[in-house]
Amino acid sequence: MAEERRGSWFGFGFCGFGQALGSGRGRQVHSPEPLETPGPGADVCRVSASWSYTAIVTRGGQVQLSGAAGGAAGGCRDAWASEALLVVLRAGPAVGSRPELQAWAPGSALRGEPLWTHTLVSEAEREDAAGGEPQARALPLLPGARAYVSPRPPFYRPLAPELRARRLELGGEHALLLDEAGQVFSWGQGRHGQLGHGTLEAAPEPRLLEALQGLPMAEVAAGGWHSVCVSETGDIYVWGWNESGQLALPTRSLAEDGKTISREAGWPSEGDSDVRTVGSEDGAPAPFIAIQPFPALLDLPWGAEAAQASCGSRHTAVVTRTGELYTWGWGKYGQLGHQDTTSLDRPRRVEYFVDKRLRVRAVSCGLWNTYVYAVEKEENGQPQPRA
Amino acid sequence: MAEDNREPLAGAGALREALWALLPPTKEELVPELGEKVELGMARLLQEATELFCGGRRSECLQASEAILDYSWEKLNTGPWRDVHKDWRRVYAFGCLLKAVCLCDEPGNAPAVAEALKVCDMGLLMGAAIHGDILIKVAAILQAHLPSGKRPGPARQQPGTKKARNDGVPVPDVASERPVPRLRCPSLQHFRKQFLAPGRPVILEGVVDQWPCMTKWSLEYIQEVAGCRTVPVEVGSRYTDEEWSQTLMTVNEFISKYIRDESRDVGYLAQHQLFDQIPELKRDISIPDYCCLGDGEEDEITINAWFGPRGTVSPLHQDPQQNFLVQVIGRKYIRLYSPQESEALYPHETHLLHNTSQVDVENPDLERFPRFAEAPFLSCVLSPGEVLFIPVQYWHYVRALDLSFSVSFWWS
Repeated sequence: MAEERRGSWFGFGFCGFGQALGSGRGRQVHSPEPLETPGPGADVCRVSASWSYTAIVTRGGQVQLSGAAGGAAGGCRDAWASEALLVVLRAGPAVGSRPELQAWAPGSALRGEPLWTHTLVSEAEREDAAGGEPQARALPLLPGARAYVSPRPPFYRPLAPELRARRLELGGEHALLLDEAGQVFSWGQGRHGQLGHGTLEAAPEPRLLEALQGLPMAEVAAGGWHSVCVSETGDIYVWGWNESGQLALPTRSLAEDGKTISREAGWPSEGDSDVRTVGSEDGAPAPFIAIQPFPALLDLPWGAEAAQASCGSRHTAVVTRTGELYTWGWGKYGQLGHQDTTSLDRPRRVEYFVDKRLRVRAVSCGLWNTYVYAVEKEENGQPQPRA
Repeated sequence: MAEDNREPLAGAGALREALWALLPPTKEELVPELGEKVELGMARLLQEATELFCGGRRSECLQASEAILDYSWEKLNTGPWRDVHKDWRRVYAFGCLLKAVCLCDEPGNAPAVAEALKVCDMGLLMGAAIHGDILIKVAAILQAHLPSGKRPGPARQQPGTKKARNDGVPVPDVASERPVPRLRCPSLQHFRKQFLAPGRPVILEGVVDQWPCMTKWSLEYIQEVAGCRTVPVEVGSRYTDEEWSQTLMTVNEFISKYIRDESRDVGYLAQHQLFDQIPELKRDISIPDYCCLGDGEEDEITINAWFGPRGTVSPLHQDPQQNFLVQVIGRKYIRLYSPQESEALYPHETHLLHNTSQVDVENPDLERFPRFAEAPFLSCVLSPGEVLFIPVQYWHYVRALDLSFSVSFWWS
């Protein structure tokens, strides 16, 4: 396999607690800035951001916290940050001992005792923990895919084995699961349509998204009250609450603000992201959508294919196969990266990466900020092999 | 050279003084006391915001308050409302307090005062009481510093004047329907024995004659007392409709858009605890004596305002408490069905709407809901000065025949 060129991380959005976002000055960063790395030559492989602090994991096994929570520790393969809990996957304390999952109070600075530990016992768990991509089987899904971690008690939550989970994402009041066959399940609160089953009812147990059957998904992402998934063919599906335009559907709040270009009637041009018929011949505007209770297909401009998605509390970020980054939704803290604080109800490309000739590889959103991993483009313009 | 007559400056100074006089004297007392639910990040931000506030660093404090409000707003919208921890509502109220006072720090900026009042109202609507319900006092002071709410409207001033709106629905033929019985000032014992205990509706007359609201309330008065206050308004014919939504606006905006104008949409200031928000209005009403027959405390009684134009509809539904519906302005057509008839009323099956009937009472789809035609009911036109007793779980449907203001008392 060809060697992947080492890239670097960038961040933008809310950093009111001084969490890792390059400058650390002020409270908001409106355009991508390079992340200050924890030490010389440290290679950051995972970024997990909560509201008031960010956890960074390096390939060397260091986890570092910045923001309202500080501290660092070694022997770490993965970390997941939330306001109530910091979860880390650590190698066992002694040589040859079993890897351990630890849940820490964020204020503990990783000193003293964790609140809770879980030793990885089964072969499946340990194999999972030992090798492989940082993105695969990431927390809060536990290695072995038999359970996941929740920031609210009970912390350890088993999953039915037949679910065969590949990825699991937690939203503000719901959960999404992507299984090995590319099927999506959802459960939790449904009052904002975030479960995607066509109703506003809650679901206590994982329930299959029937609307997506027959369309294998490659990625899922959960925001505060919305859900996004990316199909193996690069299509994006969105559902849930659209109050800030996080579904890239027309939202009343932005139209009334006058801060968004109002949607024009007529057929969309190629560059226009709105694929739904934008209005009738008499010029009536498209209706506003506050809640989308079942998946809607979303097209990016120029037919770009999506590779990965991540959601903040009220915004959405998508990486395309050609290495571009699109963001939309709530922008008040600069988390969309368009050099301003306007919110958007349509996808817009983050020009910074295009201007700097960077190919975006991954995106990881905190509640009100966005972290991006990008590599320099090849001089001869040939695409990098996808790792 | 004549001095500028900076009239607003003196006023603004007085405003600032009055607001600061309400606040706890020290920084330590100003920071709200909160439990574990409020995690480390927010706890730190609250400290920081308080320090900025006390240090006079106004714009930084405003920035911190925004973050406090935005984050606690997310908490308030997570999970069912009844499960939202009160501490998060306190955080939200605190954010509103800091923001409102900071906004008023700028001398002579009238729009800022209006915005500060909106912020207070948001804190009252969504937050929980802090520092002895300080937001109510702040709101009262801000209201006093805004220009008077009196707004001359077009020609019509009197409530109850027929609107020109052409809604096409006739006044119901109440005479042909079984009437709700009426009594004039029954004794407590008589009411309890004949109506409360067996759960039978009745209209009480003469009970609220002395309440100030009966003589004082008019559109003008309401605008004067509450015009610049922000309230929740329901837009759409009824809450079971797809087009129905809730929004916030000032009372002045509500009156001008949905009551004075020939608005196509129906707007209803419905089921809102207006009297907690605006204590001056609470002085115009009282608590019906008969509520003492219940088990609960007087401060547990929920008092709601229902204020809207002709044509507002509350679909047939039931409530989990006893209800006294006091009619102050205008008339309402009301139908009542006994809980024993529930099956014939076809309640929705979803959890969210299981206390609401699927049937449109005045235009029932008898193909879908055949049994509804045979269900017996009582009906009335409730007029100003009358009080309707709706027993717990009794199904009721309400349509306003005129511009209407009702006050409901939910008690147990």
